[in-house]
Amino acid sequence: MEMQELSGYFDYNATTPLSDTVVQAMIASLSQFSNASSSSKLAQGNKALLKEARQSVARLLNCSAAQVAFTSGGSEANNWAIKSCLLPCSQAPGHIITTAIEHPSVLDTVRYLERAFGFTVTRLQPQASGAIALAEVEAALQPDTQLISVMYANNETGVIQPVEGIVALAQARGIKVHVDGVQIVGKRQVDLPALGADFVSCSAHKFYGPKGVGCLYIREPDQLEPLIHGGGQEMGMRAGTENLTAIAGMAQAAQDCTSMVAQWDAHYSDCKAQLMGRLEQLPFSIRFNGETCVTQAVANTLNFSIDGVRAEALAAFLDRKCGIQVSIGSACSNNDASKQHSHVLSAMGLDEARIQGALRVSFGRYTQLADIETFVQQLEACTSKLLAMSEMA
Amino acid sequence: MYSELIADHFMDPGFVGDVENPALEFEIGNSVCGDRIRVQAGVTDGTVSEIAYRAWGCATSVATGDIFCESVKNTALADIASRTPEQIEAMLGELEPSQHHCVHILTEMHQSLLAEAQTQGVI
Repeated sequence: MEMQELSGYFDYNATTPLSDTVVQAMIASLSQFSNASSSSKLAQGNKALLKEARQSVARLLNCSAAQVAFTSGGSEANNWAIKSCLLPCSQAPGHIITTAIEHPSVLDTVRYLERAFGFTVTRLQPQASGAIALAEVEAALQPDTQLISVMYANNETGVIQPVEGIVALAQARGIKVHVDGVQIVGKRQVDLPALGADFVSCSAHKFYGPKGVGCLYIREPDQLEPLIHGGGQEMGMRAGTENLTAIAGMAQAAQDCTSMVAQWDAHYSDCKAQLMGRLEQLPFSIRFNGETCVTQAVANTLNFSIDGVRAEALAAFLDRKCGIQVSIGSACSNNDASKQHSHVLSAMGLDEARIQGALRVSFGRYTQLADIETFVQQLEACTSKLLAMSEMA
Repeated sequence: MYSELIADHFMDPGFVGDVENPALEFEIGNSVCGDRIRVQAGVTDGTVSEIAYRAWGCATSVATGDIFCESVKNTALADIASRTPEQIEAMLGELEPSQHHCVHILTEMHQSLLAEAQTQGVI
């Protein structure tokens, strides 16, 4: 990937480009067509590839290879953890704790279990900082709480949730914990056994791997129901011939990430400090949404609103005129009678105008400090133009 | 995604601004999404001789204001009144479902222009 092509890309939380090493690993795997489940000599290469790939991902997560099950991505991992943990309880459905700021693959899965089986659900609201209060998690616990599902870092604000404290609360009561780790893996070093959660979801395309592959960390693999029955793949828990090209790509991405993530994180901190400093110099009223300190939010993410500007129009301007990509907190709905506001910013209590003006900027390993300066200059020019368009005497 | 028509009118609008001593002025808003468009126009012998707008809204909404102004400039109010709903919808070209609210905005702009023209006695 040419750096030049990525100089305007500020949407790494949505997805990341494949690194060159990942592309090479995937290409190399393409000629190996054998089925890794076969006992033939031909299959030995792919069997070894699969084994080494699992070890590479395990090193990234600091866990054992037996605790890593490959999936099609983060959404599948989230579905698997939640459903396989709770469906065995469907005859005696209990209580689930989750938050209002989760990814839809968690929110909708929990909603399904609530509707179809009668589980009761507490959806915790975040504080203005974007973080869930640990005391509220504790207050929400019930004698029949069966699962707590919470994200590690929020995709829109980058705010890190108190997952260590939540795991401690749950373990003391024998409650399972699922952590959606999609937005933390690749941005910070993680140690999943030390975290102690029962399940953690990951997605390769968030850390320079391919789309369509991820994994579920399972603390005690024999304690989880299979996701797909019908084969011995993934320790008998997810039937189906493995997508070895995608897995090879994820493994290479994990290797790169294991050795580089601390350096990337430090670079993101520099990018964030520069961006915040420059934004504060602009002649607009800019408000940061959620905690921005890199000890409490991932360093690669910054969410802010510009007063008087509709972010949807600003993002379109930046994209079409300047080749800059960011995400927005609000978009027009397919239905004239409703709006599509960020459920995260809404849950944080932001007013409508601030949500409509919200931009999310997320950096990656290819972001240069010079790109930040260009971004700020273009942001200033586009914002000024939009404000002039809307200035009504 | 934006069609080329919408993108062109959004990126490089030709009618953003004000009309001095406008004969007609109206403002429309979408209470759901908060879009606001103000239009000012001059009328000479039953024809829109000058027109300008200002807008706060999504990209498609801003483009809609420009497309409206371009379409009515130097056009007789009577001809504008004869436009059918199908003709008005076609003015915006191909839209994604999330952009369809702009058809309502464009329709309302036509209605408001003609209503204001009647109120001011220029039609």
